[in-house]
Amino acid sequence: MDLANKLKDKKFILRIFAAVATLLLPLLLGGGEYTLLLVCIIEVYIIAVSGLDIVFGYCGQISLGHAAFYAIGAYGTAILHNTLGWPILLTMIVSASVSALIGALLAYPASKLVFHFLSLSTIAFGEIVYQFLIHSPNKITGDFNGLSSGRFAIFGYAFKSNAVWYYFGLFCVVVFLTAKYFLVHSKTGRAFTAIRENTHAANGMGINVRKYKVMAFATSAFYTAFAGAMFMHLAGYIHPDTFTQRQSVLFLTMLLFGGSGTLVGPILGVIAVEVLIEALRSFQDYQVFIYGILMLIVIVALPGGLFGGFRDLAIYGKHKMLKKKSGTPA
Amino acid sequence: MLLNLIIAGLVLGSIYGLIALGYSLIYKASGLMSFVQGDIMTVGAYLGLTFYHILKLPFAVSFVLSIVSAFLIGMLLEKGVIRKLLSKNVMPIYVVLATIAISYIIQNGVMLGWGSITLYYPSVFSVTSVKVWAANVQPEALLCLGTALVCMVLLHFFMTKTKLGTAMRASAMDSMAAESCGINVSVSTGITWGLSAGLAAVGGMLLGPMYGVFPVLGATIGRKGFSGAVIGGYGNMYGSIVGGLLLGLTETLVAGYVSSVYKNLIAYIILLVFLFLKPTGIFNERAIQDV
Amino acid sequence: MLTTDKVTIKFGGLTAVNQVSVHIAPRKITSLIGPNGAGKTTFFNCISGVYKPNSGRVIFDGKEIQGKKAYQINHAGISRTYQIINLFRKMNVLENVLVGMHPRLKSNYLSDMLRLPAQRREEVVAFEKAYEWLKFVGLEEHAYDPASSLSYGKQRLLEIVRGLASDPKLILLDEPAAGMNSKEKEELDVLLKRILDLGVTILVIEHDMKLIMGVSDYIYVLCNGALLAQGTPNEVRNNPDVITAYLGGD
Repeated sequence: MDLANKLKDKKFILRIFAAVATLLLPLLLGGGEYTLLLVCIIEVYIIAVSGLDIVFGYCGQISLGHAAFYAIGAYGTAILHNTLGWPILLTMIVSASVSALIGALLAYPASKLVFHFLSLSTIAFGEIVYQFLIHSPNKITGDFNGLSSGRFAIFGYAFKSNAVWYYFGLFCVVVFLTAKYFLVHSKTGRAFTAIRENTHAANGMGINVRKYKVMAFATSAFYTAFAGAMFMHLAGYIHPDTFTQRQSVLFLTMLLFGGSGTLVGPILGVIAVEVLIEALRSFQDYQVFIYGILMLIVIVALPGGLFGGFRDLAIYGKHKMLKKKSGTPA
Repeated sequence: MLLNLIIAGLVLGSIYGLIALGYSLIYKASGLMSFVQGDIMTVGAYLGLTFYHILKLPFAVSFVLSIVSAFLIGMLLEKGVIRKLLSKNVMPIYVVLATIAISYIIQNGVMLGWGSITLYYPSVFSVTSVKVWAANVQPEALLCLGTALVCMVLLHFFMTKTKLGTAMRASAMDSMAAESCGINVSVSTGITWGLSAGLAAVGGMLLGPMYGVFPVLGATIGRKGFSGAVIGGYGNMYGSIVGGLLLGLTETLVAGYVSSVYKNLIAYIILLVFLFLKPTGIFNERAIQDV
Repeated sequence: MLTTDKVTIKFGGLTAVNQVSVHIAPRKITSLIGPNGAGKTTFFNCISGVYKPNSGRVIFDGKEIQGKKAYQINHAGISRTYQIINLFRKMNVLENVLVGMHPRLKSNYLSDMLRLPAQRREEVVAFEKAYEWLKFVGLEEHAYDPASSLSYGKQRLLEIVRGLASDPKLILLDEPAAGMNSKEKEELDVLLKRILDLGVTILVIEHDMKLIMGVSDYIYVLCNGALLAQGTPNEVRNNPDVITAYLGGD
């Protein structure tokens, strides 16, 4: 389509608008540091949950222990930077890579297990990592005191405000989501989905199921760990409480709420759940209760998540419009 | 010292066994994993405390009431939530998540209802210590062991010698065949969940007097209980009991002789080892392998 | 092309397949028939790698493949369809075929994630080839529909063409005509011969006698897990054992 036609296409205009709004967000929020911080956290979660989506939404492998990878990324980057003095970006990539390796090592034997027992093994893994966090050798993780790391700097440039961090986060989100898009729309991505849809037939069609499950897990671990590393440098301080099983369940809830197996689902889910949590922040005592209710809502009312809901709405809308046009009563 | 550890291990193990038993019963009956067991244990402990301490009912009565309440909760859960979800044909992950969601709701509910500080049972016995061979043991510990043993024996007889128990086993093995024999599978399954909840409540009421009651009492034990079930062979009743006891013993001995710091770690490491190397458990229960 | 040598498969006390030795000639259609429960699908599953035989050998292209994993056997050149339709339901029709092409695509994880130029080119070619496969069976207008939205007969066709997409030397078809109406079966008859023209050897399990007699070059009859008879359609049709044991069809 040439430019003139493109401009008339409503979807295209919407996309340009969204892109511009995203780029100018810090200005639009007018110096609201807290809101901007929230947006940065949303960026972190989008990457973490997109990672979970790769292994669960696309490959069908349930993981209830992803907080462990989140932790490996967060603690890894801090420890490497504090003790070895490596540049921060390098520590982020290294800790994410280590996490991917661990994910692969976990996935290799776990890939034999059927559904419930796979989830059990991920839970066990999550708990083991957590125990390690609170009782680390030589107190390398600070145990219950938590861990902080120095000023966040990339290539020598120190980040002084949330607005700058926002653009860094945005860049990361674009990179990771693009990679995810490439991956799922490729031979590897189709193998993942085939495994989810029908593992037996996937085998029969020449897919080495075990190898691909391991790949999916490793990729997912990298994503979530990198997000964890981002989180470390956003918050400046981390504590084991952030990396409990509840965090793993939160990731999964966000994913299902937004719509798994899609590109946009994680984005919708993270934003929706984060906004809800913030809105209900004054009900601190009921927080866990609210998590529970949220999950039940997804399960009972929105199995396709928000994405599925919107899509069904769109189909329904089109249907009605077509009926109107053809003159039959709606 | 060793004797003390062994007794403590058996006590802890019997609790694990009760939880694991519940898991296996549910898995055999519905093919599902329920994450609520641990929290029902907590509820059982709190209810028992309420009956015993606040309503001043005799301990035995409180015990029974608590179990009955838990039984009803379990049945309600199966009928009201699980069955509805299953009939809607949702993804299996959603049923698992539903039990996790309910577990969260119970945890928070319990905190709202009774507060988050640890509450204590008034003494059940008039003595604080009993001599068993060379060791000094809390009478509550003996109560725990004894009750757990009685429960398991009763359950064994119920399952093998009574009509209802046999009907439940049949429903679990092959629901279609059982249905065609005139067994009401739906009721059977509900009773199974109720029974599992009751077992968890027993565990709660045995733990409560020993350690006090707090909102996450059951949650940790519930998670580690999976380990006990897998060790014995997930789905195998007797395996769960043996697995639970082994787990309790191992944990306590490791804590006593190696390091108490890594006590919690042991259960999960054993779980992973079994899942990866011997998923069918000690009793070689049906394989849980996929590819 | 494919030879099995006294293949035996037991499940506990039940011997599902008993010392079955067959020889599948290249570029021909060989059929496997027999009453329900005769062990035909179990035999297929053994060839395609789902089961490992308790004893006996499966030799394909001169190499022993018994006990190998299903995906390895697929790579070696044997593809299949299933008795119960095993499509990738939420993927669209085109994607199902693309998955079938999996072993023939050369890109790897890294080139996929980075979308390197070579991978991009390969994907374009793959999509075109997949579309050609759909045209082969007349499914091209459904290319972007979810596989589950197809009618039963068309789903069966999709499964066949998904199996063909890996350019196998041998394809195992497990009851491809099940649930088809007579018109669809006539079209299937033609399709099988067209598949032969592509150079693919066919081993088919079927119950529809008319179809079997019409397309087969050679027939094996299985009964209670053991080979009862074998021969050309005429020989089998007139074999008294076969008639006694089984022939009630058309």
